Amino acid sequence: MSTQLTPRGIRKSSAVITIAAANVAQNLYLRSAAGTVGRTIILRKIFAYSNIGNVTITIGIGLAPLVGIIPPFYVLNTLDMQLTEDEIPEVEVNVNLTVQATILGCLVQVEIEEVGS
Amino acid sequence: MAKELHTYKAGPIEQVVMPGENVGIWVNKTTQFYKVVYIEPITRSDPVTFDLGALAAGGVSIITQITLLQMPDLEFAQLRMEVMDDVSCILYQGRADQRHKLQNVVSTVNRFSPLFDRDGHQTEFFEFEDNYIFLQATNQTAYALTQARVVFWGYRYVLEYQKQYTEKGNMPDIWTRIPATAHL
Repeated sequence: MSTQLTPRGIRKSSAVITIAAANVAQNLYLRSAAGTVGRTIILRKIFAYSNIGNVTITIGIGLAPLVGIIPPFYVLNTLDMQLTEDEIPEVEVNVNLTVQATILGCLVQVEIEEVGS
Repeated sequence: MAKELHTYKAGPIEQVVMPGENVGIWVNKTTQFYKVVYIEPITRSDPVTFDLGALAAGGVSIITQITLLQMPDLEFAQLRMEVMDDVSCILYQGRADQRHKLQNVVSTVNRFSPLFDRDGHQTEFFEFEDNYIFLQATNQTAYALTQARVVFWGYRYVLEYQKQYTEKGNMPDIWTRIPATAHL
C-alpha cells in the first residue's frame, strides 16, 4: 500500500529506460524546461527490473559524474523492485534525473512530481 | 441576499466587486474613484511566475521590482501569491514600503503559508497601473538554493475614471476600498 502525498506539482513518468552500458550514467527523466521559470523535480516512485543478473542501480543528477540523490539500491535477478513515495526521501532537484547501473540491459522507470507553474 | 464580496476573502479567490460597481483605490496616500467596466482572471501560470534567483545559505535577495505584474493605465490587479521554494518573501509596494507589517517586524510569505492558508487569501494584494510590487527573498535553509520562485494568480480589472467623485466631498454612495499600496 502506498500513500499519495499532498500534491506539490503534477505527476509525470519517465519512459522505461534500458541501461545501455554498465557503470555509465544516462538520462532517466528530462525536466520540462521550456517555460521562462524552471520547474523542479521530486522523485516519487521507482520501478526497476533485471533478468540479466543482480544489479546495483543509482539514481541521481549529472552524467559525468552522476551524483546520487538517494543511496544506490539492489535489484535481484528476475525480481521486480519497487520503491514508492512512502519510502523515498523528498529530494527536489532542478535538473534532469540520470541513472547508472552495474550491468547493461536492466530496466528502470520513475514517477516524478514536477513543481512549477 | 447579495453575495458578499470583499478584499482578502477566505477561500478560493473571488473578484472583489462586479462590473459596474465603484471602487476607491487607495494609492499614494489618496483614494481615487473608478467604475469597474471589465474583469477577467489572471491564471496561475508560467508567465506570471517570477524567479528571484539563486541564494546562498541564509542569503537575502535584493528588493526586486516585479515588472511582469505591471498593469496598463486604468487597470488594477487583484493577486495572490505562492512561494515555491524554501524562501521567505517580504512584499513591498513602493520599494521602501513593506506590506504585512507590525510595529517592529514584518510577516512574510513562505513555503509554510499554504499549510495554514491553502487558498492564499492572506497573501492577497492589489496593484494599480504601474505602482509596482517588490519582493525580497531570504533563503531559510542551511544550503544554497538555485532558485526562489513565486507564482501569482488573480483578476484584472479595467476601470473608468469617475472624476465627479473626490475623496473630500462628493463620494459615491457605495464603493469598495482597494488597498493598492502600503498604509504607512
